[in-house]
Amino acid sequence: MEVLLLGPIVIPLFCAAAGIVLARNRTLQQGAGLLAGVLAWLCSLGVLLVNVQGDILTYRPGGWQPPFGIVLVGDLLASVFAVMATTVMMMGIVYALGCKDKCVSYPAFMPLFLCMGAGLNGALYTGDIFTLFVFIELMVIASVVLVAISDNKLGLEAAIKYLFISAMGTLFLLIGIAALYATFGTLNMADIGRLLAGGERPLLAGAAAVMLMCAFLVKSAVFPFHFWQPDFHTTAPTPVHSVLSSVVVKVGVYGLIRMMTLMFTAEAPLIQDLLIVLGVIGIFFGSLGAFRTYDAKRLLAYSTFGQIGFILVGIGWGTAAALAGALVYAVNHSFIKAALLMITGLVSSRTPGKTSRLSEIGGVGQTLVFISGLYFAGGLALAGVPPLNGFVSKVALVQGGLGAQDWLVVGLVVSAGIITLLYMTRTWQLIFQQAPAQPITLKPYGDQPFAPAVLIGLCVILGLFGSPLLAVAAQTVAQLADPQLYIRAVLGG
Amino acid sequence: MNVLFAIATGIMFGMGVFQLLRRDLIKAAMGFYILFTAINLLFLAVGAYDGVIPAYAGLPAQGRQTSDPLVQALILTAIVISFGSYALLLGLIAVSSRRFKTVDSDEVDHLKG
Repeated sequence: MEVLLLGPIVIPLFCAAAGIVLARNRTLQQGAGLLAGVLAWLCSLGVLLVNVQGDILTYRPGGWQPPFGIVLVGDLLASVFAVMATTVMMMGIVYALGCKDKCVSYPAFMPLFLCMGAGLNGALYTGDIFTLFVFIELMVIASVVLVAISDNKLGLEAAIKYLFISAMGTLFLLIGIAALYATFGTLNMADIGRLLAGGERPLLAGAAAVMLMCAFLVKSAVFPFHFWQPDFHTTAPTPVHSVLSSVVVKVGVYGLIRMMTLMFTAEAPLIQDLLIVLGVIGIFFGSLGAFRTYDAKRLLAYSTFGQIGFILVGIGWGTAAALAGALVYAVNHSFIKAALLMITGLVSSRTPGKTSRLSEIGGVGQTLVFISGLYFAGGLALAGVPPLNGFVSKVALVQGGLGAQDWLVVGLVVSAGIITLLYMTRTWQLIFQQAPAQPITLKPYGDQPFAPAVLIGLCVILGLFGSPLLAVAAQTVAQLADPQLYIRAVLGG
Repeated sequence: MNVLFAIATGIMFGMGVFQLLRRDLIKAAMGFYILFTAINLLFLAVGAYDGVIPAYAGLPAQGRQTSDPLVQALILTAIVISFGSYALLLGLIAVSSRRFKTVDSDEVDHLKG
């Protein structure tokens, strides 16, 4: 069973290599990409099914015993995030197959997309903090190239900016890793957690915690480190944008949860206080930024900001219910946001200029009834209207907040949900309801609506039958509450 | 030895940050690489022992301290990754300088709003 852990990492990498060999034959290359996406999804689902029964899977490449060798760990937290990531990746690949963008037809597109997915899954499954850095870099470099080759001419500029900023994040991460290695002489997260739980607090441990936190906040685009995100995400090709804005930003969230529950459990209350403040700032900055922006894709990128803020507030409350709410929120938001981005990309692919500027796509969607319905459902899900999954996650989050008795922040979170509703319905009306200013002739063919339809369907299903996800989240939090489970599974004994 | 490392790493960090904040994109890219080199030096400094001979399993140490092989493996990995990112960054800057006819970062800002 342990081999399943390798699947979501090795299969996309292998198919990426095969895709380079098959560069001449686009059909075969796309087939390899789709195969990798489906197999990675099945593997991650398999790991989750094993985890739900209470086991933590560990795989030791090369047979080296941890803490000396690298170890891949599939516990519930990693599995929940990995299933979310592989689902959106798979749908991103499906969307790319039916995408009319020029950059999607480049022979390098599919291998890079798969590398990004492999880096993402690797960062989630690894139990070694240096390997985490390697996988995050794989993901960053692949995504930078994907944005640089975007049809949008400004993608190049955004890619250069992001490469600089992400390098700063990586720098923080590396300094944190060096500080941890200088202090404990180990890079295995479980081993570091064991040594930190021993009670002794060396001077450098605090510095390492700050550095790691900065790195993860840069990756998640949280308030003081947020400015790169709308530029980078807006200019990305649609399939890439839907993955970046939904699951890639969650790597930082995953890192924060992992670091607070496994390694720096004593510093966690301090970090949580900070996360609530940063989260609330993010919620309002993102939601209000989404209001005044000029581009439908940029609006959703700003909205991601706000939604990450909701998740951080949930982590910040720190109670079991709030953390479970944050996990449910993270998963649901990924599906909603990916679907909405795909629909926006689909609409803009039908316009003559391939634009998503609100001033130019007003009324474009008047004849696209099906797409309009999908967008409306996605918008309501994002705002948290029943019976969609956004409602389930908002309720879970607010229940956690009520349990933590943080009335002010609960009030702010609920009121920010209304801002979300306002900007989503406004955009929906603008694109799909309003009469166009001047008659527009839509292109007869655009991107295929299959992938966003599946994701919206998933949103409805998760909204109507939300209890399995809530149960898994509660079980995950129970497992996170006892770091000894993880440490024992990795180090044995 | 550690004092020397601290001074050298500090100087390189300072140089790197200074270069990174320049308006010229190519100089900023150089700062990027200097910062990563500083990190490599930092990794070398945090090695477990100040060894003078390589660590081989089964090879007698002959009374001398072996060096820490793990940090060297880490540095090797970090060099490969930073080198790759640097090459990619220079490639992107080359394309952008051809497209925008400038390497001044103040003039490459079409993404406002």
